[in-house]
Amino acid sequence: MSEIVKLENLSFRYMRGTVPALSDIDLSVRAGEFIGITGPAGAGKTTLLSCINGVIPHYYAGELQGRVVVDGLEVATCTLHELAGHIGFVFEDPDFQMVSITVEEEIAFGPENLGIPPHEIELRIQDALQKTGISNLRERAISTLSGGQKQRVAISAALGMLPKVLLLDDPTSELDPVGTQEVISALRAINHQLGITILMVSQNMEQLVENADRILVLSEGRLILDGAPREICMRADVLKRVGIRVPQVTEFMISLLLRLNRSPQSDKIPITVEEAAGMFQEILHKGIII
Amino acid sequence: MGSVIEVKDLHHRYPNGFHALCGVSLTVAKGEFVAIIGQNGSGKTTFVKHLNGLLRPTAGMIWINGQNIRKRRVSEMARTVGYCFQNPDHQIFCDTVYKEVAFGPQNLHLNQAEIDERVDEALGAVGLLHVKDEMPKELSKGHRQRVAVASVLSMRPEILIIDEPTTGQDYRDGIEMLNLVQRLNEAGHTILFITHDMPMVARFARRVLVFRDGQILLDGSTQQVFAQPALLRTTFLAPPPITCLAQAFPELFPETILSVDKMVEQSLAVLRKREKVMPS
Repeated sequence: MSEIVKLENLSFRYMRGTVPALSDIDLSVRAGEFIGITGPAGAGKTTLLSCINGVIPHYYAGELQGRVVVDGLEVATCTLHELAGHIGFVFEDPDFQMVSITVEEEIAFGPENLGIPPHEIELRIQDALQKTGISNLRERAISTLSGGQKQRVAISAALGMLPKVLLLDDPTSELDPVGTQEVISALRAINHQLGITILMVSQNMEQLVENADRILVLSEGRLILDGAPREICMRADVLKRVGIRVPQVTEFMISLLLRLNRSPQSDKIPITVEEAAGMFQEILHKGIII
Repeated sequence: MGSVIEVKDLHHRYPNGFHALCGVSLTVAKGEFVAIIGQNGSGKTTFVKHLNGLLRPTAGMIWINGQNIRKRRVSEMARTVGYCFQNPDHQIFCDTVYKEVAFGPQNLHLNQAEIDERVDEALGAVGLLHVKDEMPKELSKGHRQRVAVASVLSMRPEILIIDEPTTGQDYRDGIEMLNLVQRLNEAGHTILFITHDMPMVARFARRVLVFRDGQILLDGSTQQVFAQPALLRTTFLAPPPITCLAQAFPELFPETILSVDKMVEQSLAVLRKREKVMPS
């Protein structure tokens, strides 16, 4: 698959910052990947997203080094207007980005500003609402919606711009379990059906492990781990050291195997409850030789 | 131990007609550490806001330390019941950390020495003495949350209510916040905290209240509540992953397991018993 986001030697220091917010980040994202980004507070997660959508350097002043290319566009030299049709952004708090009274107005807002003709906007509204499963909310006032519904409106509004890449900054942290599930299902659907590349920041490791193809771990502005969920979970020691929660079932199995004098295999270590149950069953039947 | 909170058949209907609480009754004893869980809109926050008078019952009665609070003002209640908002920015309004934490005691008309003593004590408890003169808005979210807790602690409330203390924080800050709350509990404060984080509930709470549609669906020890996954599922909740794993083998782990360490120990015991492991 082709490369859709490319970061080369990226470093950034905010104008008032004493230390760099990001240091020497190299990253290549293939079109259609679902990437999870995690790390402790202050690790540079939001800064990284801001460098990809162009908020850095277009809004925030600071010292930027290296290169960011998204969908063939050089982010530092394109205008935000040009980038808007390629990259969508969803904030942690949906209220932060809503500008309209009703759901359909919110989705129409972006395309209207690009001068898209009305019949085309209509198609985009229908499509975006359908993809996030909220067609029934089209006429509703945004203020009457639940958190999970509002966050899906924010995602639909981003989809209305037909982006190739969707960036989300911890979109479920303010939601309850039902709202979280609604948002994750919508994201999986647009990733699978539309092939939109997703980069999602989250503190919820269990959520990333179950949904992302690949996980990036940031700490103190550096990309310290980059790999498939199972590879990342195997590095429980590193995750713990930088203050990231390891999925409980992974922690359990690593620690059980170590107590049995076995070294955990990175291609087999369970990352979900179902996998852990399967592996435990196997140990029960066959003994510890696995 | 005497009860510090007693609630009888509490109802609340918001002005828009929404019946947010439909008959909640419970008793909390001094020194309990209670988690309140449930979906948004199930009545958790509406419930706790009644305990310090921020909301008044449509029907029902509330006693704090044996006294009916029907006619007590919020400012009076603040000496006994401290409430930390979910979003610290909804409660922080002063331009230095010191002023924020001193605001409550100043309103009790204490002398300056006493106010300073309380501010130092509260900031010491949350580990923020070193930022006393800084602007709250310039601190990280985790630290702003701790300022909010300190500004409640300086009132020395017996009962501390914390609404989603870990939301929007990273794992390490979340654990630190709850470690702090645990120390306050050990020092005698009664704790109620609202959360969506089940592993945190399993790790810290000794009692769990599950809200559903304005009523208490379950009320019991943390083990008793997580022992009922089917009932929890009716309100889209699940026990922590490690508990679910143990529950997949009910004949091997009859007791509800709440921590990874306990699961490792019990698994080793099971394997040894089944002679799946040779003694080393």
